[in-house]
Amino acid sequence: MTASLGLFLLVFTLLLLRQNVMVMLGCATAYAYLMFGDGQLRFIVLDAWEAANKEVLLSIPLYLLAGNIMSQGSMAARLIRLMRALSAPVPGGLAVAAIASCGVFAAVSGSGTVTLLAIGSVMYPALVQAGYSRPFAIGALCAGATLGVIIPPSIPLILYGVMTQTSITELFRAGIGPGLLLLGLMTAYALLRHRGIRGGRWDPSEIAVAFRQGIWSLLMPVLILGGIYSGYFTATESAAVAVVYALVVETLVHRGMGLRDLYRVTGDTTRLLGSLFPVLMMALSLNVFLTYEQVPEALVGWLTARLDSPTLFLLMVNLMLLAVGCVMDIGSAILILAPILHPVAVGQGIDPVHLGIIMVVNLEIGYLTPPLGLNLIIAMSAFREDFWTVCRAVLPFLGLMLVALLLVTFIPGLSLGLAGR
Amino acid sequence: MNGAGGGAFHVAHGLLALLARVERGITFAAFLVLITVVFLDVVSRELTGSGVHWASQAGVYANVIVVMVGLGVASATGAHLRPRFADRWLPARFNALLERLQELLMALFCAAFAGLGVDIVLETWRLGEVSPVLGNPVWPVQLIVPLAFVIASLRHGLYALWPGLRPVPANGPAGP
Repeated sequence: MTASLGLFLLVFTLLLLRQNVMVMLGCATAYAYLMFGDGQLRFIVLDAWEAANKEVLLSIPLYLLAGNIMSQGSMAARLIRLMRALSAPVPGGLAVAAIASCGVFAAVSGSGTVTLLAIGSVMYPALVQAGYSRPFAIGALCAGATLGVIIPPSIPLILYGVMTQTSITELFRAGIGPGLLLLGLMTAYALLRHRGIRGGRWDPSEIAVAFRQGIWSLLMPVLILGGIYSGYFTATESAAVAVVYALVVETLVHRGMGLRDLYRVTGDTTRLLGSLFPVLMMALSLNVFLTYEQVPEALVGWLTARLDSPTLFLLMVNLMLLAVGCVMDIGSAILILAPILHPVAVGQGIDPVHLGIIMVVNLEIGYLTPPLGLNLIIAMSAFREDFWTVCRAVLPFLGLMLVALLLVTFIPGLSLGLAGR
Repeated sequence: MNGAGGGAFHVAHGLLALLARVERGITFAAFLVLITVVFLDVVSRELTGSGVHWASQAGVYANVIVVMVGLGVASATGAHLRPRFADRWLPARFNALLERLQELLMALFCAAFAGLGVDIVLETWRLGEVSPVLGNPVWPVQLIVPLAFVIASLRHGLYALWPGLRPVPANGPAGP
C-alpha cells in the first residue's frame, strides 16, 4: 500500500515538474522494478530494445511518412477539387466535400493532425468564402479530421495491436464500419444544417478534369486498403508501397516535390517518431514487467469479483477514456491503458478487437475536448481563431461523435462485422 | 548564465545547431534505407516469388536508428509528448525555476538510461550475440541506444544551463 502510494506521489511530482511522458513512464517502470520486482533496472532498457526491435513497428514510420508526403504535396488539393465537383449540386455540397475529403484523405494518411492541416488549409478559406459560418467550417474540419485515427490505416490501431498482440489487419477491418458511421453522421448534419443553401449544377467537364487530376490520389486508398484486405500485403509492406507510391506521384506525376522537400518531410516525420517511439518503448517495457508480475491477472480477478455486467464495464471504460482523452494524447493513452484494459475486457467477454475500436473512438473524441484537444490547438493556430471559439465550434460535432460512440460500444457488429469475428 | 549572451552560450548554440543538422542527415539516410529495403522485399517477392530474407531485419535496424536519433530531433524541436494540464498548478513566479528543473531532470533521466544502455551493450558484446538473420554482431547496432541517451542528456543539460537555448515547444501535430 505504501509502495503504491509512493508510485502515485512519484507520478504526481513529475507531472508538477512538467516532465514528458517518456520520463514519467521510465521513472514509474524503474520504481516498479525497485519496489515490486528484483531491482534489476537494466531490464528496462533491455525490454525497450526488444520493443524497438520488432518488425511490426515498421508500419508506423512508413505510414506517417506517406501521410506527410501527401500533405506537403498536391494530392490533398486534387482530392478536394474532385469532391467539390462531385458534391456541387447537393445543398451544402461544399461542407459535404470538406468532410468527405477528410474521410478519404484520412484513409491514406492514417493521421488526424495531418488530415486537418492538409484539408483544412485548403477548405477553410473556401468554406468561409462560400458563405458558411466560421464556427461551422472550423467544427466540420476539426471533426472530419479526427476520422484519420479510426479509418484504416490508423496509427493508434497499430499501437493498440502492438500493445495487446491483436491482429492489426482485423483492427483495420473493424475500423471501417465506425469510420463510415461517423462520416455518415457528420455528412448528414452538414446536409441538414445547410439544406436551405441551393446547390449548383453538375459540370461534366469540371468533373472530368478533376477526376483526371485526382485519379492518383483516389487510387491510393484502393492500393493500401485493397492490398491489406485481400491479404496481398502485410500492413508493413502496404506502408512501404504507400510511401513509394506517394513519392512517385508527387515527384514524377504531379511534379510538386523535390529532394529538398523530401528531406524536410523526413525531418518532420522523424520529429513525430522521436516523440512517439521512446514512449512506446518505455510502455512496452512496463508492460513486460506487469505481465511478468501477473498484475493484469490480479486486476482481472479483482474487477471480475466486483463487476458482473459487461455493460457497466463498457460504460465505465467510456467515461474513463473520455476523461483521459481530455488530458492526454491518443498515443500515450493507448500505450499506457491498452495493456491494462485488454485482459479485463477479455475477462468480461468483450472481443479485443471491439475494445480496440472503442478505445480509439473514445480517444478520437479527445482530439476535440478542451483543454488539450490536439485538433483544437492546431485549428486555433491554423485558422487564427481564439481557443474558446474553436471549442464552441466543435460542440455539435462532439454530440454526434458521442452518439456514434454509444452505437459502436453497444452494437459490436458495427466493428466486428467486417473484421470477420 | 540565465538566458543568452557570452562566448560559451554561442559555442553551445553552434554545437546544438551542428548536432541538429547531423541528426537530420542521419535520419534522412536511415529513412531511405528503411523504405528501400522494405519495398525491395515486396518487389522481389513479386518478381522472383521469394522476398529478400534480410530485408525486415535491415528495416528494423534502420528504424531503430531513425527513432533513437529522432529522440534528439524531438528534443531539438520541443516535440516530446507532455501532459500540460498541470502546468498552472504551481504559481507562475516559479516558471523560470521549473523550466530549468524540467531540463535538469530530463538530463539526469537520459544519463541514467545511457548508463543502463551501456550495461546492456556490454553484456550483448560479452555474450557474442549475433543477429540470426543478418549474422552481424548485435552490439554495434545496440550502441545507438546509450549514444542517443548520452546526446539527449548533454542537450537537456545545456538547456538547463542556458534556458535561452531551449526550442519553442511544438504546438503542432505532435502525435498520430
